[in-house]
Amino acid sequence: MQNNTKHIIELIDVCKEFDGVSVVENINFYVRKGEFITFLGPSGCGKTTTLRMIAGFEMPTSGKILFNGEDISALPPNRRPVNTVFQKYALFPHLNVFENVAFGLKLKRVETTCISKDGKEKIKYKKLPKEVIAEKVRKALEIVDLTGFEKRSISTLSGGQQQRIAIARAIVNEPEILLLDEPLGALDLKMRKEMQLELKAMHKRLGITFIYVTHDQEEALTMSDTIVVMADGAIQQIGTPEMIYNEPKNTFVADFIGESNIFSGVMPKDGQVRFCGKAFECLDGGFEKDEPVDVVVRPEDVKITPPDDGMLKGKVTSVIFKGIHYQILVQCGRYEIEIQSTVAPDVGDRVGLTVAPDGIHVMKKKFRVNKFSGVITKRNTVEFGDGEFECDVTQLYPGSHLDEEGYLITAKGEKLDLTDTEVNVEVGLHDITMSDNLEDGGAQGHIISLIYKSEYYRYIVRTENEEDYVLACEDLWNENDLVSLIIPPDKIRLTLKVAEGGKQ
Amino acid sequence: MTNTKAKAKPHFSRKLLAIPYGLFLAIFVVIPLLIIFYYAFTNDEGKFTLEYVKVFFNESGEGVIGFFKSYNFKTIMQSLFISLVSTVICLLIAYPVAYIIARCKLKNKSALLLLFIVPMWVNFVLRINALKELFVFLGTYNKSNAWNIVNTIIGMVYDFLPFMILPIYTTIIKIDKSYLEAARDLGSTGAQAFVKITLPLSKAGIASGVSMVFLPSMTNYVVSNYLTFRNVKIVGKLIDDYFMGDLWHDGSFIALLLLLFMFLVTWLTGGFKADEQTETRGTSLW
Repeated sequence: MQNNTKHIIELIDVCKEFDGVSVVENINFYVRKGEFITFLGPSGCGKTTTLRMIAGFEMPTSGKILFNGEDISALPPNRRPVNTVFQKYALFPHLNVFENVAFGLKLKRVETTCISKDGKEKIKYKKLPKEVIAEKVRKALEIVDLTGFEKRSISTLSGGQQQRIAIARAIVNEPEILLLDEPLGALDLKMRKEMQLELKAMHKRLGITFIYVTHDQEEALTMSDTIVVMADGAIQQIGTPEMIYNEPKNTFVADFIGESNIFSGVMPKDGQVRFCGKAFECLDGGFEKDEPVDVVVRPEDVKITPPDDGMLKGKVTSVIFKGIHYQILVQCGRYEIEIQSTVAPDVGDRVGLTVAPDGIHVMKKKFRVNKFSGVITKRNTVEFGDGEFECDVTQLYPGSHLDEEGYLITAKGEKLDLTDTEVNVEVGLHDITMSDNLEDGGAQGHIISLIYKSEYYRYIVRTENEEDYVLACEDLWNENDLVSLIIPPDKIRLTLKVAEGGKQ
Repeated sequence: MTNTKAKAKPHFSRKLLAIPYGLFLAIFVVIPLLIIFYYAFTNDEGKFTLEYVKVFFNESGEGVIGFFKSYNFKTIMQSLFISLVSTVICLLIAYPVAYIIARCKLKNKSALLLLFIVPMWVNFVLRINALKELFVFLGTYNKSNAWNIVNTIIGMVYDFLPFMILPIYTTIIKIDKSYLEAARDLGSTGAQAFVKITLPLSKAGIASGVSMVFLPSMTNYVVSNYLTFRNVKIVGKLIDDYFMGDLWHDGSFIALLLLLFMFLVTWLTGGFKADEQTETRGTSLW
């Protein structure tokens, strides 16, 4: 409990669905008072929805939102101590600058006790006096550097000025929390950089909590005390900008924040990781022996050396001047490695590459489920992971069924041909079984790893084209056994691939 | 050299597209207006005269005071009253309807809107006749002078309601929802947000609807004729009576007065402000 008082906002198991489609799944986090926290993620990751739930524009489907320990999930926006700066400002076009900024103040009622005629004390709600409003508006405009703009109409303001008015309109109400929904998205690059610094300074000066939403990782790194990286409606990592950048928790975060080279590797022992066919020294440890891991190397951490001195040898395929540095691509066997350097080799040069131990970030591979990209075939089976499996395609459309010819009939009676539909395939660890008989399963591969996990063995089966299946099995098989993989049709979970940015 | 040649050659410019409309405007709007103007201030010999102005204002020969007792004045006042009441009733019905349709969560809002527009596809003389039969059935047809006025107002409202709904609907549906969210965010209740945001922002639609109902209901004497056994007279009928009686000069002057009045109403409702009025007349739906 003693901690809770410092948490100005806390989200507990918050989920949000729109028409049965889950947008935010089980989000848990807290915001400390006075913090500058940023939700960062690609479009459609649920960050704006989360912000809108805090603001009160959306009600969570389940879960709680606590403000200073009190549940405010059901409160309408006007009764929450937060104010929002909207993505497109949402300044009222029929009001001038003063009226826009004073909008919230004019609605405010201050509790005053007065004595009524019969001598009883009464609590009355009084409007703020005009002079007080005028003074507060003046101060707010001063904070955003637009003194003297009171009489101007909104349509005469530039984008940057409108942005500032939108901020003034929100902070004039002295909210406990200021919510900012991609507020700089509509500004040009130079203006954006200026505003970033100004917002940061404003945050320091006002001392209120800022919750900021952006898809711009640089913006997030520049301004935030804490970053919440989101993807697919779930939190990927919470941490300071340095933590997020230097110690990304998973490959998504590494990939989204900054540039990175991501390799699949294994950890033979603590302090050593194998990837790109070589063993590198690293600082990470605590993994199981030969555990498959993801390895992230930032382009600026790769050093170019003479060919014979490098851990890896390769050929420069591209050099692009980026202003501060060169972006160099080096092909090392089947791996393409990106390097940032202030000195550029020539295209075609043979070079060596090294990575210092502190430049290598090893992270656990997420093995909750096997995830594949698949394609529906003509026979209503699904092709993925180097094999073809029977599946239940009706799960893609709720309430649908198949007709005699194998066409899918949706709940509304539409007839769909799913051939060549791209889908995401998920198969649980325990839903795959192995068989000696190679004809039984949909795919075949060699067992490349087995780890005893007290209750079961965890196997990794690699197919000819290097697709990995992770599965759990109680029986003991031998490494290098050739097996076929059996997955019951009802255990193959399919979801349609949604076009980028399709849902927000 | 080739350059000057190219310049000399007349080429099709977009401005040329305005010519047909310009011609139409001249033939059907400007010239008739000029003719009305001409007729109002000339006599049968074609000489300038203010005689018809005098006749209009001094019909009874008692000067200006007499005018206020005159038949013309009474007709104009009665017509104004009918227009005003019809407009107010239209607005009171149309705004909630437009608001509800615009804000409902149905996907096919236009279909709902169509319910109010479809009656317009039936010839309106037919509809007014049907309404008359209904009044006959109810026994209110030509029952008394007051009933006649009530029936006229009902007819006007029935006829012009869609013209009020459409512009209001178009403005409300265009109001960015983020304005309402911002208003709620800044502390207003739903009702306050409506009064402070939705209502002012739909002003243009209201103004547009008002001028599209108010002005026609001054002149649409088909409604009053059919529904009152020609016992209620509105300005449009007044002009018609003069024209039918071959009193072209008197009729023209009243038409001119009506025109002035229309300008006044349009100006008052902000109809001349181009920026606010663009696309508020329900054009997108036609």
